Amino acid sequence: MLTTLYQQRALIRAFAVREIATRYRQSALGWGWSLVQPLANLLVYTAVFTLVFRIVPPPLGSDPDKSSFAAFLFTGMVTFNLFSGLVIGSMAQLRSNGELLRKVHFPAWAPVLGASLVQFIQVILELIVLIALFLVLLNFGWTWILAIPILIAMALFAQGVGLMLSIMNAKFGDVQYMVTVALGALYFLTPILYPISVIEESASWLKNIVMANPLSWFVLPMHDVMYSLKAPEWWVIPALLVFGGAVFAIGFKVFERTSEDIGEIL
Amino acid sequence: MTNNAIEIHNVSKKFNRASDRRTSLKERVVRGRAKNTNEFWAVKDVSFNVPKGSVYGLVGHNGSGKSTMLKLISKIYRPTEGTIISHGRLAALIELGAGFHPEMTGRENIALNGSILGLTKKEISAATDEIIEFSGIRDFINDPVKHYSSGMYVRLGFSVAVHMDPEILLVDEVLAVGDEEFQRKCFDHLSKLRKAGKTIVVVSHGLGSLEGLCDEVTWLDHGHVEQTGPTTQVIAAYLQKVNSEESARSRQISATRDPEEVHEGELRIKGASIIDPVTKEPLSHAETGTTMAIQVDLTTTAPILGPNVRVAFQHDSGPLVAMISNHRQGTDFGTINGDHSVLATLEGTPLLPGRYRIHIDVFDHTGTQTLDNWNEVLEFPVRSVRGEIGQGFVELPTTFTIT
Repeated sequence: MLTTLYQQRALIRAFAVREIATRYRQSALGWGWSLVQPLANLLVYTAVFTLVFRIVPPPLGSDPDKSSFAAFLFTGMVTFNLFSGLVIGSMAQLRSNGELLRKVHFPAWAPVLGASLVQFIQVILELIVLIALFLVLLNFGWTWILAIPILIAMALFAQGVGLMLSIMNAKFGDVQYMVTVALGALYFLTPILYPISVIEESASWLKNIVMANPLSWFVLPMHDVMYSLKAPEWWVIPALLVFGGAVFAIGFKVFERTSEDIGEIL
Repeated sequence: MTNNAIEIHNVSKKFNRASDRRTSLKERVVRGRAKNTNEFWAVKDVSFNVPKGSVYGLVGHNGSGKSTMLKLISKIYRPTEGTIISHGRLAALIELGAGFHPEMTGRENIALNGSILGLTKKEISAATDEIIEFSGIRDFINDPVKHYSSGMYVRLGFSVAVHMDPEILLVDEVLAVGDEEFQRKCFDHLSKLRKAGKTIVVVSHGLGSLEGLCDEVTWLDHGHVEQTGPTTQVIAAYLQKVNSEESARSRQISATRDPEEVHEGELRIKGASIIDPVTKEPLSHAETGTTMAIQVDLTTTAPILGPNVRVAFQHDSGPLVAMISNHRQGTDFGTINGDHSVLATLEGTPLLPGRYRIHIDVFDHTGTQTLDNWNEVLEFPVRSVRGEIGQGFVELPTTFTIT
């Protein structure tokens, strides 16, 4: 699998270049747009959840007397957006390249992975905003380094899911709508808008559901290393990497097997 | 080591009719797994070998499976049964510029298309200049291709595909691109590739172009191989089948005049038909180079002295191509009375393929008085088994010498 990917790096890169070249080409703000939506969400949610629902975020790692709902929320959002961005982006690729796949023989995962590479630019832009936010709050520490392997594991996990869903979406056009709905639900079943402690007290059955959601497995350690500035237990990050890698490998294999007749399906 | 560029062994390809495909999850759940009752074999048990360095043609009517065959060779489709082995890098000209993205410039698209066709970055940058030069659109190469004319689009597409240095080139009826000059350039380039020992597989309806280009041809009919062999032989057999099918289908070319039609003269043209001069059977079409005859049925109410029967041939597009008459040939029918059939035999029909209309009139022996005339008597097609599409209307009897 890895050698195949390496051999086709030129093709993946070519699709990434195309994605960069065509995304936002005709808009004045360009890449700025990719930040507008998360920032708008941040603003609305922060207002609603601090003023209306009065959720109290956990204390900041640098100063136990201070807390910031916006920073807490954005940490979770960046992690979740990495997942949803890759899944949604991957799903759209097969269909939008249908014309090409019907006429030329090439590995169908190349445009999917190419588009995903570009998605990382978005993630990096969001991370820059997040880091800037924490610097303003004077909340930083060595544990930030640990965010890198967590995000890599998340990306692998998301891409594995994205590859499987993209092939399903090529066969059944309604998958993308179902996924959009599912992502909306998952957003609330992941401790992004609230700390896990809130539901721990009020509804332990709900907590079990939230903890069974794989996205929580990534968001919780991200809160640890970025917001609370503490390292998760030693086994957490290796376990996430193994999990993400396995999902990616399975997704890739499933995709390769089922995409052989992609020229006919589309 | 084999001398074949492509080996096709007992290949079959099955499709499920679109109506039976499950295209949404709801359908899949509600109606269950698609039953395989509505399947259809686009290609059935096809075998042939394409020798290395040859130009190979695939002919057949619409739906004969030739385009499916090309997609199978180019690996866009997988065969349901059988195997296809190809030796060497393939490039398929299935649709020119299929991979172009409208928002990207010509140059960016060259790079993308090159990687899709499997070239490395180095190979692409080496070929880019040549591609731009060949396409002849250097001035627009840095504009997004959405602003290109359709001609520029296919020119760029063709240039990219043929400069990818393929060992096997698959071409699907795309040669009719661009203007005359560019078409010539394409053909020149294909012969250059052929001289360089590349293998080319062409699918075409334009049988004339196949004949000039191909060494060998496979004729597909309803998904199976009807015949494989040297180009001229297979194409002649193919055209014969097409022509005979047409004769079986279309009505014979003859016309009978409405007897009620008011006519005051003493001579009347009753009907006309195109017949085989040997069997006297009416034909459904004429063939360039094959003798045909026009039979004109006349009747008179009084003896007529030496009438001149004239038959005019008009091409579909308007121009009058020829006019034949018995007086011009120096034939005097003498005095006629009652029912007669005039037979005008055209030795080795010199008309080139196309549709022609016939007008008939009859003059008296002095050539001054019209006894009867009938416009647009019939319309008939002229076909050719040699497959050429003629320039002009008639074949002039010519002998060439060189000294």
